[in-house]
Amino acid sequence: MSRARIAAAGLFALAAWQGLPAEAVAQTPARQPAPPGAQVYFHYPVDGLSVPERFTVRIGLRGMGVAPAGVNHARTGHHHLLIDTEPGPPEQPIPSDYNHIHLGNGQTEVVVTLPKGRHTLQLLLGDYTHTPHDPPVMSPKITINVR
Amino acid sequence: MLRLAPALLLLGLAVAMPLAGASAQERARQRSPAPATARLSFIGLADKAQVPAKLTVRFAITGMEVVPAGQAARNGGHHHLLIDTELPPLDQPIPSDFNHIHFGGGQTEAEIALTPGKHTLQLLFADHNHVPHDPPVMSERITVEVPAAAPEKPRSAAAPGARVFFIDLQDGATIPSHARIRFGAEGITVTPAGTASPNGGHHHLLVDTELPALDREIPSDFNHLHFGRGQTEAELSLPPGEHTLQLLMGDHEHVPHDPPVMSARIRIRVVADGQPVVAAQPAPHAHGAGAARTPSPNDAAVYFVYPRDGDRIYPTSTIRFGLRNMGVAPAGVAKPNTGHHHLLVDAGPPSFDAPIPADLNHIHLGGGQTEYKLTLPNGRHTLQLLLADENHLPHDPPVISERITVIVAPGGPNARRRR
Repeated sequence: MSRARIAAAGLFALAAWQGLPAEAVAQTPARQPAPPGAQVYFHYPVDGLSVPERFTVRIGLRGMGVAPAGVNHARTGHHHLLIDTEPGPPEQPIPSDYNHIHLGNGQTEVVVTLPKGRHTLQLLLGDYTHTPHDPPVMSPKITINVR
Repeated sequence: MLRLAPALLLLGLAVAMPLAGASAQERARQRSPAPATARLSFIGLADKAQVPAKLTVRFAITGMEVVPAGQAARNGGHHHLLIDTELPPLDQPIPSDFNHIHFGGGQTEAEIALTPGKHTLQLLFADHNHVPHDPPVMSERITVEVPAAAPEKPRSAAAPGARVFFIDLQDGATIPSHARIRFGAEGITVTPAGTASPNGGHHHLLVDTELPALDREIPSDFNHLHFGRGQTEAELSLPPGEHTLQLLMGDHEHVPHDPPVMSARIRIRVVADGQPVVAAQPAPHAHGAGAARTPSPNDAAVYFVYPRDGDRIYPTSTIRFGLRNMGVAPAGVAKPNTGHHHLLVDAGPPSFDAPIPADLNHIHLGGGQTEYKLTLPNGRHTLQLLLADENHLPHDPPVISERITVIVAPGGPNARRRR
């Protein structure tokens, strides 16, 4: 059973390697356009900052508005905070887990608690279906030191 | 190209098979032991159950303990919910995606949303590294069905004079946290749910929520209490604080009548049991037929990220807004605990009972913006932020910032102070 799954995965990888479009990627819905110049950024913390274990991430957004998840308004989206992870494929909805914090009620700040050490943070705007815009509205990835 | 694909896939299979076996061996992880008596199951959710599209799934574990991910504990682990998927390989960390939901915080329930149709659900316990135990602790794989979206239901007619109301409970009243609420009905008969009768219906009590859509079934959840047996009173337990209550009659299929038979939405204050209940006093906003203000959480706050009080700023500056314990929604979007920003420039104290005016001194950020590029003449100016609901009406209590003073100077922050 597990062997078959892995074989299937290997097969997919091979298909991708051969340059064949994987079927799952082919059928993606149209992404919301992002207005030119739209930008999401950290008010706090900034790159390289040392922060306590519990701190508030404050989010700024230029050239667009915030709307709760599920609200389909042009030029809006809701924030996602990516912790210690890379952004996924932009045509897929942003996953919801401990590394991808959804601010689905239109929040513009969130209190996070992180273990001591270095962590990366990145902001990614998602549309009403949690899918990144086209082009994605994403902040640079910052590194913070939790002390 | 397409014809080539199967051949390539076959080739891929041939190449992948031996490799896959080897890599699986390499990556196998140490599995934590589990007691043979450990049992994992869903609470109140049976195989082949019909479920709503949005449901809360609760998990029960016996013989082991729930600890957050990352903490190694003997006979401990955290829940994973597998939706529409087979068991993952048991000697590896459970993947994290939409089909494998992790509850690494030690949660024992989750609200999930499913599309109409059949779905499978299965629980799988895993250790601090997300690797299933040995033997694996998992539930049965059950199938649930979400019925196709309910078509719009025909609404039953109500007599023109029909009304419902609270008995002995006024707007602004103070009640203990365990209170008996009594419902009155006039011009309409109270009949149990499921019994179609002309001009009849049963009560629904809406707690801390807006009126639901009137052309379909009233939702059934903690905010929408059904009294389908025809009850005319309820024992209500509410946490201390401000709450809203509203009655809405539903017909035999829980759909509001046409016209809807409902009471006014009243605000009540709940005090902890044992505290003296002060005499009911009318709420300050209850005068006249003015639109009701949307409640805001008590700890909500709006503030300036930039500038701060007393700052010197450039004539054209980006004013940045912060909002605590609420969310932003564009104007016109009704959602609890959200609103949109208004920037008041050189404006006097606003009125909270009327929509915020739209003029040069009251800048509406109706698109959900959280910053605004403002150009001001040189000199002293005041700025203030005020959040308002979908109708531009401030919340209750109002979510308003301090009124700050800024000095606009051509050189901005670098301008020399003249003495």
